[in-house]
Amino acid sequence: MLSVRDLTVSLGPATAPVDIVAGVSFELGKGEILGLVGESGCGKSMTSLAVMGLLPQPGPRIRTGQVLLEGSDVTQMEPWQRVEAGHGRMAMIFQEPMTSLNPVRRIGDQIAEAVQVHDRVSGLPATARARELLELVRMPDPAMQLSAYPHQLSGGQRQRVMIAIALACRPQVLIADEPTTALDVTIQVQVLGLLRELCNRLDMAMLFITHDMGVIAQLADRVAVMYAGRIVETAGVEALFGRPCHHYTRGLMDCMPSRNSGARRLPTIGGQPPAPGTVRAGCVFASRCAAVRETCRSVAPPRAEVSSGHEVLCAFPLDDGGPR
Amino acid sequence: MTGNAVLDIKDLKVSFKVRRSGGKYQVRAVDGVSLSLAEGEVLGIVGESGCGKTTVGRSIVGLARPDSGSISFKGKDMSAAGLRDMRLNIRMVFQDPYASLNPRRTIGDSVAEAGDINGFFTGRAERSAAIAAALTAVGLDPSFAARYPYELSGGQRQRAGIARTILPSPSIVIADEPVSALDVSVQAQVLNLMMDLREQLGLSMLFISHDLGVIGQISNRVAVMYMGRIVEQATTRAVLDDPRHPYTRSLVAAIPKPDPSKRILGAIETGEPPSLFKRPSGCAYAPRCPLASHRCLVDVPELRSVDDRALACHNV
Ligand SMILES: Nc1ncnc2c1ncn2[C@@H]1O[C@H](COP(=O)(O)OP(=O)(O)OP(=O)(O)O)[C@@H](O)[C@H]1O
Ligand SMILES: Nc1ncnc2c1ncn2[C@@H]1O[C@H](COP(=O)(O)OP(=O)(O)O)[C@@H](O)[C@H]1O
Ligand code: SF4
Ligand code: SF4
Ligand SMILES: [Mg+2]
Ligand SMILES: [Mg+2]
Repeated sequence: MLSVRDLTVSLGPATAPVDIVAGVSFELGKGEILGLVGESGCGKSMTSLAVMGLLPQPGPRIRTGQVLLEGSDVTQMEPWQRVEAGHGRMAMIFQEPMTSLNPVRRIGDQIAEAVQVHDRVSGLPATARARELLELVRMPDPAMQLSAYPHQLSGGQRQRVMIAIALACRPQVLIADEPTTALDVTIQVQVLGLLRELCNRLDMAMLFITHDMGVIAQLADRVAVMYAGRIVETAGVEALFGRPCHHYTRGLMDCMPSRNSGARRLPTIGGQPPAPGTVRAGCVFASRCAAVRETCRSVAPPRAEVSSGHEVLCAFPLDDGGPR
Repeated sequence: MTGNAVLDIKDLKVSFKVRRSGGKYQVRAVDGVSLSLAEGEVLGIVGESGCGKTTVGRSIVGLARPDSGSISFKGKDMSAAGLRDMRLNIRMVFQDPYASLNPRRTIGDSVAEAGDINGFFTGRAERSAAIAAALTAVGLDPSFAARYPYELSGGQRQRAGIARTILPSPSIVIADEPVSALDVSVQAQVLNLMMDLREQLGLSMLFISHDLGVIGQISNRVAVMYMGRIVEQATTRAVLDDPRHPYTRSLVAAIPKPDPSKRILGAIETGEPPSLFKRPSGCAYAPRCPLASHRCLVDVPELRSVDDRALACHNV
């Protein structure tokens, strides 16, 4: 479906590039939900924008790598070519729906406009499809809400509208960048449930980006853990939580309060992530890794397969993940 | 609890006048909250966005003006107590450290501000020593005093914000979502720091958060707020392990558990968030509540004591 190979996104001049995404590869199968998790600044949004062809201009650019949508490399296409080639079928939703919705237009018109672009229909059929999309995202009173303005909706409802707009192009791949981070847990659980249901029903694949390990555990089929621009571990969700092999993954899980209820002190990962481009050799996690050895600082760690479908970017991975 | 209460709030009401689409509305942000904070205790306040948590905190430090109710500090009514005394004894930590650190002043100047205003320092040496002590207490090197906020990471800024809070040796700290803007690995560092400071400085703390995981880690007791009122209050373990109020139950059930074998998506119904402009006449939670009965639509449930806790519900 979607295959990202060795994607590198860089800033700065071509002679001295600073890589903010460095050699990211992943595969997304039909109907699959891949969770991309990592702390702020690790490059999650840059990865998703690069895949969508939406990198801000001027600034970051794709230096190397391919984004293959059903076999064709979309990084080589102009946006209109993507649509023409029938490959305009990726859609994206963002963290803050208010910044992507037009505050002075009715939401029905905004959805109908997206329908118009993709189905080439307008007027009544477009409105009918807009209403159908609002039903699909389980908006209460869809017919009435067509005439609502964004500010009249709750945060969760606005996110439903964004999902409806994204679905207007009948995407095969939905990229969701922290779509529930601004929502209360009670509403987050509804939006996550909706996204999963839509993936099942429409056989749609989703790249779901979050910094929350809890959300990953609830939603993802497979997980890619990102740190300082690299994917440091990938595994099926059960394997990742049952047997985390990268020291960073393990650290992230240990410091979550909800896994520690009762303990007086939380385990922590000391220090903070390195700024992009500052690690010149060795492992990017070396400055914070409790298991660091001499070679880690000079030799870049290999990508090792610890079991089928479970890969880790570490020279000395955790053997058994230890007790949970 | 009230015997050694350092902070006692009775029937606090705060409202705001807002204009929406032509009409003027009165929003009852806090609608009769009573709380008491014991010496050395951490009381967590949890609830959805807009339920009034911050407004409670801001009322206590004098940043919001209550319509009615009383707030007393160590038995003295705060409207009578000296403003200066109160400002130094009860200090607030904010979610966004930018709100408390002036971008154009050094960290040292921001940290020392309360001391400067109140004439704490007899000379430069004493001032520098106080800044260094506060920074050291929050795990920052004293050299950070010369830096500016933009030179600090999020976690370091929050530590500096905490240093600024504790410099005048307050007895109560109101922490409003102090770790919500931080990544989990840094969040754990700052939470540990706050637990240490509480112990070392004998602080009492009101800890406001929308995250029950964080609240569960740091609080002794928890008050759950819904639409400006407390609906359940008990020890942290009682609230997390045995939530009784239907709203608390849905809040606890909705926490995304970091365990793929415990998936809840699609399994729970949590309803639409309320609008403060359309307050239901009976129980505010009735439109979302699976247990709502006829009485819930007419009678407002009062907070009463049931077993080991306080509860505001007709049907549990
Ligand atoms: N200065 C103000 N003017 C008008 N309305 C206000 C003001 N401050 C708060 N409100 C309203 O009062 C209600 C309670 O707000 P408050 O900030 O206390 O909520 P909160 O529980 O802290 O929410 P959050 O979790 O989003 O921080 C909200 O409806 C808010 O819009
Ligand atoms: N428009 C931009 N121009 C230059 N650098 C950027 C831009 N946006 C993000 N960055 C940098 O790229 C890195 C990755 O950012 P991002 O992908 O937004 O992280 P995440 O989404 O994981 O929080 C960070 O170091 C960030 O500062
Ligand atoms: S390669 Fe070395 S420093 Fe990096 S994660 Fe593995 S053990 Fe730690
Ligand atoms: S009083 Fe009634 S509506 Fe309110 S929480 Fe209890 S059962 Fe539900
Ligand atoms: Mg991002
Ligand atoms: Mg608040």
